[in-house]
Amino acid sequence: MIKIVDLHKKFGHLHVLKGVNLEIKKGEVWVIIGPSGSGKSTLLRSINLLEEPTSGKIFFDDLEITSKKVNKDKVRQRIGMVFQSFNLFPHMNVLGNVTLALLKVLKMKPEKAKKIGVGLLTRVGLKDKIEAYPNQLSGGQKQRVAIARALAMNPDAMLFDEVTSALDPELVKEVLDVMKDLAKSGMTMLVVTHEMGFAKEVGSHVIFMDEGQIVEEGIASELFENPRHPRTKAFLDAVLY
Amino acid sequence: MQGIADLFQKYFSFSIIREILPFLLKGALLTVFFSATSEIIGIIIGLTTSVIRVTRIKVLSQLAVAYVDLFRGTPLLMQIIFVYYALPYLGINLPATVAGIVALSVNSGAYVSEIFRAGIESIDKGQTEAARSLGMSYMQAMRYVVIPQTIKRVLPPLTNEFVALIKDSSLLSVIAIAELMRTAKEMMTWKMNPSSLTAAAIIYLIITLPLTRYVSYMEKKLKKSEA
Repeated sequence: MIKIVDLHKKFGHLHVLKGVNLEIKKGEVWVIIGPSGSGKSTLLRSINLLEEPTSGKIFFDDLEITSKKVNKDKVRQRIGMVFQSFNLFPHMNVLGNVTLALLKVLKMKPEKAKKIGVGLLTRVGLKDKIEAYPNQLSGGQKQRVAIARALAMNPDAMLFDEVTSALDPELVKEVLDVMKDLAKSGMTMLVVTHEMGFAKEVGSHVIFMDEGQIVEEGIASELFENPRHPRTKAFLDAVLY
Repeated sequence: MQGIADLFQKYFSFSIIREILPFLLKGALLTVFFSATSEIIGIIIGLTTSVIRVTRIKVLSQLAVAYVDLFRGTPLLMQIIFVYYALPYLGINLPATVAGIVALSVNSGAYVSEIFRAGIESIDKGQTEAARSLGMSYMQAMRYVVIPQTIKRVLPPLTNEFVALIKDSSLLSVIAIAELMRTAKEMMTWKMNPSSLTAAAIIYLIITLPLTRYVSYMEKKLKKSEA
């Protein structure tokens, strides 16, 4: 479903991605781990075309989305993204956040959009908060709204960029639970996270990235039990205990 | 003591003020008309040029920058004179009223453009990214996500700009528009007494004070809501 071929990204002199290759099939949950500055977020942002690759190609269902001819807005409609800093729209209530793209991008009728919005907010356990504004919510609630907002466009894949890193520890679980459900429902997911428990339990595949490259990739259970590369081993030793 | 008595007789003559007040109020009405009309047109110009500038569309945004630099960097008095007295040589003959509105709008548009640009750039980049990640175009993200948040933030500086424009509209007196300042000066010549200036100053204050008070109120409220 998503295929990445020799992806490079430079910010000025900084070489952030140094030739990343990856192939993700429908329904797989890929977890990307690695130290800060290893290029995990940049990789994720490239897939959603928030970063323009310096070279290399990304395919989404055989469509080369890095091609100049491709309509980026159309591509982004099919790929949902959730950010570390929530980025909810503060001037709209929760339902407004979730339905905005339905109304303005898909030109959906308000009643229909509302139905979808309420359905999704029920799914993430926030049915009683539809009238609330983002500043009245806890971090965990905000992030669940952000997930519902991304799901509203009915995307084929979802990208999660360190979505629990800005949360108080006691709020992490409620967000991870929503993501677990989503994974069970068969959503194709790419998750950058420091939550190793989640990676082990929910991830079908794990990538360990360091210094802009994929050092090691594999089936989640295998990679955590038997890391082959010394750098992966060192990283896991450091974060697991 | 004689000095004080003279001052009152010259600048605070109530009998004269009472007599000329209807003329001054008519002038004040024109002042409000010119500044309000120009502020509205200025907001349209300013919003458009600020969006062009933040999008960094090559030639267009350079033109927008040149426009802002030109009209912020030269005296409004000079701009009014150019619009009214110089444009006719290019075959553009504007009646004083229109010339006045054009000059004021274009001048205020340059300041408003700066206010909006700063406002737009103060909105967190994550807002645009979230909107774009949902499949919105750049313009949709601007229209539904960034600009609505900008409006709240620019209201205080925009009102300040409006207050400045109300006072600056007094410069229209050079092209014979009978706004408040010009009327007051005419009354001064007619009565050979400058009390009309005092009265005009008070009228300016009556117009601008609610606005400046509103700005302080808004700024306090904004500080609270963003704390």
